[in-house]
Amino acid sequence: MELPVLNAPQKSGCAASSCGSNDDQLNHLSDEIRAKVQNHPCYSEDAHHYFARMHVAVAPACNIQCHYCNRKYDCANESRPGVVSELLTPNQAVKKTMAVAANIPQMTVLGIAGPGDPLANPERTFETFRRLSEEAPDIKLCVSTNGLALPDAVEELSKHNIDHVTITINCVDPKIGAKIYPWIFWKNKRIKGEKAAKILIEQQQKGLEMLVAKGILVKVNSVLIPGVNDKHLAEVSRIVKEKGAFLHNVMPLIAEAEHGTFYGVMGQRGPTNDELQALQDECAGDMNMMRHCRQCRADAVGMLGEDRGDEFTLDKIEDMEIDYQAAMEKRKVIHQAIEAEMNSKRAAKIEVKAEKLNTRPVLMAVATSGQNVINVHFGHAKEFLIYEASPNGVRFISHRKADQYCGGDTSCGDGESVLQQTVRALEGCEAVLCSKIGYEPWEMLENAGITPNGEHAMEEIEAAVMLVYNEMATAGKLDEVKQRATA
Amino acid sequence: MALKIIESCVNCFACEPLCPSKAIYEAAPHFLIDPKKCTECVGDFDVPQCAAICPIEGAILDSLNVPINPPGSLTGIPPEKMAEAMAELQAH
Repeated sequence: MELPVLNAPQKSGCAASSCGSNDDQLNHLSDEIRAKVQNHPCYSEDAHHYFARMHVAVAPACNIQCHYCNRKYDCANESRPGVVSELLTPNQAVKKTMAVAANIPQMTVLGIAGPGDPLANPERTFETFRRLSEEAPDIKLCVSTNGLALPDAVEELSKHNIDHVTITINCVDPKIGAKIYPWIFWKNKRIKGEKAAKILIEQQQKGLEMLVAKGILVKVNSVLIPGVNDKHLAEVSRIVKEKGAFLHNVMPLIAEAEHGTFYGVMGQRGPTNDELQALQDECAGDMNMMRHCRQCRADAVGMLGEDRGDEFTLDKIEDMEIDYQAAMEKRKVIHQAIEAEMNSKRAAKIEVKAEKLNTRPVLMAVATSGQNVINVHFGHAKEFLIYEASPNGVRFISHRKADQYCGGDTSCGDGESVLQQTVRALEGCEAVLCSKIGYEPWEMLENAGITPNGEHAMEEIEAAVMLVYNEMATAGKLDEVKQRATA
Repeated sequence: MALKIIESCVNCFACEPLCPSKAIYEAAPHFLIDPKKCTECVGDFDVPQCAAICPIEGAILDSLNVPINPPGSLTGIPPEKMAEAMAELQAH
């Protein structure tokens, strides 16, 4: 395979990769908001390559039931929202947060997201926030809620240095809501059906308006449920934007029978990658869309896409002595270094432009563990980031989970089938960029119509994707309508 | 006259702060109701508060040991459908 000569960067105009597309979805935000979210991995696609987050599971109670949730939340092996391994008291949560902050200095954000609804556990949630805003003032605090108790909590939230709130809003129509929420607990009664959904929707919208009025940043999460709210979410997106939400995160429904959820047991399917992307693109005309969400557990620790919770279990943090003043000094230096690196990378960004202007878009998968470079061996990738290259530039689309088939030892076990799963997860992609790749997966990928590429190790992702795109264009592969590879 | 929490309780804390008689307490392996204190909320609320917020079907029994929230009543999953799904999973 011939590598084309790198284009000389063109000085005029903007980078092909970020002009009019959502290379960084925050492009259109005010400077003030950008400054607030530039080191928040959940809100800034750019930041998620560099900064880490954590959730503390202090909030077990919930005031509603959702059809995608099973309230038996205690599970070590599943990675989805609403699941945790151990509940923490506020005191344990503060200790754990400080232990993680000292050991993973790039952790900038502490969120409370469950396993129930944080605002249905106001004492435990606010005790945790109150102490952390005093004892660890360099950590950003955020909270995620279903919104039912939000209007009553806004005043308290505004006291604790919390400038980010996420509300899960799946609908603005009670008829649709009744298909998602079987009941709510409201004014000392369990209420069901459309009446329940109507109350929940009113509370969510009221809470959103109150937060915006207080100057607190609001992100809206929506779960895409095919056949239930798929045709409705564009309207949701428009309405929440009008009311002042700054980012909309449409996530795919996770529904498996073994999770014991209503949707899982009843056979409700989740959306395909194409359906999710189509809806995100539809909403993007009105709203900043978030596409890098990993739907993490309510006790996740580390970079998005990784979970280091096992290193910080209660028995392990018990033995850790943390000098937080010293940790804070160290963290400050590291954060400054990361921000300097991000800025210099932005400034030195290699602008690779599309060479042909009439070629079709292509999806490519990238194996990365952060720093915005291609730096993971194909067989070690836990997930792939999916980028779309087209004559308009390169844009980030989503991530896809891969089961690691290569554990690095000689016994491969049922490796082959896991490799096949990984290849299937990359369906729709035409190339995969990684630091290295073995012979067996190489062959399997080629048979599936996906071109493996290990030639851009340690290179910046978007520039490399565009180089590969240009290579494909030059080879005449992009002139016709794509023929889908059959797995 | 008292309600009872049984082993299917997941320790979610939702009921405890709602109890007007402070009859519910944290215990291992799950929350319990002090039968001497429980009034079933008579005089305070129309419905027993613990049973009105509990998300787990079957976890709270009335004084006749009958589940206040029987299978299917909270999740909407018909019990036979749940049994079918679980049987299928175990077969694999």
